[in-house]
Amino acid sequence: MSTLRIEVCLGTSCHLMGAQDIIDAIENLPPDKRSKIDLRGVTCLKTCRKGPNARVNGIILSEITPERILTVIEDNLA
Amino acid sequence: MNRLYPEIAVAQISKAGEELCGDKVEVARTEAATTVVISDGLGSGVKANILATLTTKIASSLLKRNVPITEVVPTITETLPVCRERKIAYSTLQIIKLLPDCMATVVEFDSPTTFLFRGGQVVPFPTEARNIGGKAIREGRLLLGEGDIIVAVSDGVIHAGIGGLLKLGWDWPGISAELAAHCSPSDDAEQIAEHILGCCNGYYLGQPGDDSTVVVIKLRRPRNLTLFTGPPANRDMDEQVVKRLMGGEGKKVIAGGTTANIVSRVLGLPVTVDLDYQDPEIPPIAKIGNLDLVTEGVLTLTAAIGRLHDIRKLRASTRRDGATLLARLLYEADRIDILAGTAVNPAHQNPNFPAQINIKAQVLANLRNALEDLGKRVTVEWV
Ligand code: FES
Repeated sequence: MSTLRIEVCLGTSCHLMGAQDIIDAIENLPPDKRSKIDLRGVTCLKTCRKGPNARVNGIILSEITPERILTVIEDNLA
Repeated sequence: MNRLYPEIAVAQISKAGEELCGDKVEVARTEAATTVVISDGLGSGVKANILATLTTKIASSLLKRNVPITEVVPTITETLPVCRERKIAYSTLQIIKLLPDCMATVVEFDSPTTFLFRGGQVVPFPTEARNIGGKAIREGRLLLGEGDIIVAVSDGVIHAGIGGLLKLGWDWPGISAELAAHCSPSDDAEQIAEHILGCCNGYYLGQPGDDSTVVVIKLRRPRNLTLFTGPPANRDMDEQVVKRLMGGEGKKVIAGGTTANIVSRVLGLPVTVDLDYQDPEIPPIAKIGNLDLVTEGVLTLTAAIGRLHDIRKLRASTRRDGATLLARLLYEADRIDILAGTAVNPAHQNPNFPAQINIKAQVLANLRNALEDLGKRVTVEWV
């Protein structure tokens, strides 16, 4: 099983829009799932207006919520 | 830039039961000189505090206007009331003036002899008796060097423990021996001041019989810091500004995600962001090569200003969030050069955000004020 790289933007705008909740949602995944994710923080992805933003396997996802990131993880790890 | 920097610390306790300290210390730093004026008002409490405040204020404002010490002293001594019974002035005066070339002048009027702590030895700062306007003062000049430390104390420290733990009080030789034995030229001015005051309070068994003040001035190499925050207006300037940052002396700090990305690109070094939220309010810090600190921008700067308003708490804090780390680095620096980018930050244009984060200039103005209040020299260059 390959790993999923998720880079969550921790810049000003994304921070204010709730980037930490995205991190928390990923960190709190059950260990078998969590271990398949390469989670990193990045600074400004230049899509500030639509934050919080994350880059999943190279693709920027905007206006993400904890629920949405979990769905994306499910879909990608399936 | 091999001028030495006078690091100054003041530690004080009031006489037991008094809210106000009757000793007053005024520190003024200008381009031309650094002056420290210390006054000990006769007695304690409000009256002593008012007299001492008056004395230091008059003296330091005259000195700031470059009035020579030989005129400042008689002005003060003629203005000050004299106690009718004891025939002594209502407050003492001690002036320490340091020129940028490290020439130090010390003037003592009824105050304890100033200590000179040099190469592990403690000696009286060399002065000669002089008569200025009918008043006996002591005055001396000496060229100081790196690592030299001047310590001034008020009467309360000299008399610590009198009639109690120490029959005749701690006294000058006692303090001098303590300095030589337990303080080191590598200590901060603050550590030395707190140590001596701590001993003083100990000899008083925590019930000081008089207001007590310790002032420590240490000459050391200046500590510089360059802070780069916000992308330059024009992308073409990125390289040049990063060069400026890297070429500066001392510590290097970046505040801002986009700014970090610019530095990373120009230097060809990756930014690695910490995922740890040490403080939920402050975005995590990042790392680029061996830069001293990389933080988020406006939120962290604003919080750092808040931290700088409570230095005692900052010093004691073990928190490692971006704002605390930034505030500490700024606090430890003497001279801070800020390179402030003027590009419009898309992150700050979100209409849902509070208005204050749009005002970068305001944040930097507040930062500058907070740092200048702490005696730092600050320059801001808009790029
Ligand atoms: S702060 Fe997240 S994209 Fe700019």
